[in-house]
Amino acid sequence: MTSGERASHIGKIAVGLALYVGLLMLMDTQLKGFYLGVMILFGINAIVCLGVSITNSYTNIFSLGFGGIMLIAAYTTSLLTLPVRYKAQFLHLPLWLENAQWPFVPALIAAGAVAVLSSVVLVLPAFRLRGHYFILASIGINIVMTNIGINFRAWTHGPLGVRNIPFYTNVWWVYGILLLTILFIVRLKRSKFGRAFVSIGKDQTLAAVLGVNVVLYKIYSFIIGSFIVGIGGALWVHHIGAMHPHVFELVFVFQVIAMLAIGGPGTISGAILGAAIITFFTQLARPVQEGFSLFGLEIPPLIGLIQVLIAMIIIIVMIYRPQGLLGRHEITWKTIRAAISAVFKKTRNRNLKG
Amino acid sequence: MGLYLAQQLINAFSYGSILGLLAVGYTMIYGILGLINFAHGEIFMIGAFVCFFLVTLYQVPWVIAALAAVAASTVSGLILERIVYRPCVRRKAPVLTVFIASFGASLFLRFLFMMFFTDRRRAFPIPELFEKMYFLGEIAIGLRDIIIFVSTIIIMALVAVFIKYTKVGTAMRGVSYDAKTAELMGINSIKVIVVAFAVGSALAGVSAIEYGLTFGILNPGMGFMPGLEGFIAAVLGGIGNVPGAMIAGFLIGGGEILFVALLPPSLSPLRPLFVWALLFVILFVKPTGLFRPNVKFEGLWGE
Repeated sequence: MTSGERASHIGKIAVGLALYVGLLMLMDTQLKGFYLGVMILFGINAIVCLGVSITNSYTNIFSLGFGGIMLIAAYTTSLLTLPVRYKAQFLHLPLWLENAQWPFVPALIAAGAVAVLSSVVLVLPAFRLRGHYFILASIGINIVMTNIGINFRAWTHGPLGVRNIPFYTNVWWVYGILLLTILFIVRLKRSKFGRAFVSIGKDQTLAAVLGVNVVLYKIYSFIIGSFIVGIGGALWVHHIGAMHPHVFELVFVFQVIAMLAIGGPGTISGAILGAAIITFFTQLARPVQEGFSLFGLEIPPLIGLIQVLIAMIIIIVMIYRPQGLLGRHEITWKTIRAAISAVFKKTRNRNLKG
Repeated sequence: MGLYLAQQLINAFSYGSILGLLAVGYTMIYGILGLINFAHGEIFMIGAFVCFFLVTLYQVPWVIAALAAVAASTVSGLILERIVYRPCVRRKAPVLTVFIASFGASLFLRFLFMMFFTDRRRAFPIPELFEKMYFLGEIAIGLRDIIIFVSTIIIMALVAVFIKYTKVGTAMRGVSYDAKTAELMGINSIKVIVVAFAVGSALAGVSAIEYGLTFGILNPGMGFMPGLEGFIAAVLGGIGNVPGAMIAGFLIGGGEILFVALLPPSLSPLRPLFVWALLFVILFVKPTGLFRPNVKFEGLWGE
């Protein structure tokens, strides 16, 4: 790379970053209430999708256990940051935890670390089981975690849940972490790790023959994926402000799987596109579900309509376009430029003919 | 203690037959198509709902309503196969794609019922005749326990004979073991898949009626846990092995009831943990199940 190229490269990055920050400032100042919430949820879902895609798309170990991992991470951060007076009210915690009131960032990192540790329960079955057996085991992990959350009342307050968790999440945190995650995964995919993951995902035996340490890289992929997913869960808790054991159950897990499947598994832009489609759809269709009156015509509340529609969309996508909307193509500057120039070329050709 | 145990064994048998019937459906469909029919629990739920509505809304005699429920389950299983699974199979979709589609189908049916009938629990209609109790010494046996026992045994015997001795049953076992070779031998695998879905869904319908008789409730989410436990039973029995699935269903259902009955009540909320812990033990110690599976294992993950 010559110095001129490098300068233009840095310039491009600076312009991109400035645009991103400008967009965030616009979002932070202009959006309010519901729409701001939708944008934050979209960011969190995108982070979760990217984390899940590392294990489920790159390493191709189809795990549904990330709901349980998120649950543990979310409980970790909520117990660490909950004000002391609320903890004394209805939880029975050990003393060090009861008196702890951590700031946001250490709690976030702790949540990620606990998520990584708890992903052991997923890693162990992943070595021994394949295919449907692993899917079944990972569903089991989800259900077991939810069950522990319900029954371990001293720490979780059972099905009543924990309230009054401080609202730390805002646009800057979510989109900052999202940007970091994207950059990290872009680098990861080109690194030794990412290539090893993809090779394991394509053909495990072949990867082993080529000298990839399959066991080790499966562990790495779960560590990285669980960390990102755990951070996503922690952000979610600090956005909603309350926590109870059923939030990351199979319905949520299915939504994330739907995001990945619709966008196109195995690509960064696919995960983000899928997260955008499903999040905006679920949030904007919510008034319909809760019932409203249209020109004096009472539409009754239809609880579950959103899930029905998502399930229908996912079945149709799976039948007619199983590779997702984007397939294996990544949206980059190059493809955008190619698309734009293709459009212009078409019009120019038409002009020449005419 | 012995008396209590005997009483609990009767309860265990009822739940075991529910799971056994579900497990047979799973094992047939998994063996033949290589997919977890995630919506099997919802087919089960549809059966219970049809029986409920026919009896409470239209005052249909209970026996006819129960038969109609089995028919409804069968039809919904066939519709599911036609709309969701056949296009996937025809396009030779990877296993994972079909799995996500079946996951979607399951949630679709559950939330559709939730949308129309809400999530609240309803009382399953049980004819008064069935409430009669017989006493064997000091052990109380309800007539419905006897009916569940007898009907399950008869149905399972019929299915076992069907699988073992009829031409279609032989074809099913063949396709389950090796679909490509079976097709080369002139077996129409689509036809076999349809038969498997019909039989499996009908058994789910029977199982739903038994569930209603045993627990007396129904709601749109009722099929979820029995469905998963039925699949665990299918794994324990060796995938594709129909008699194995029946026995494993009894073992898991019975084990679960006895777990709750014999341990202190403070542990009873941990009931789901028991089943999944059992699954982990099975999968780690003997992933092929207790009995010989009737599938080729290398093909499980698809291409």
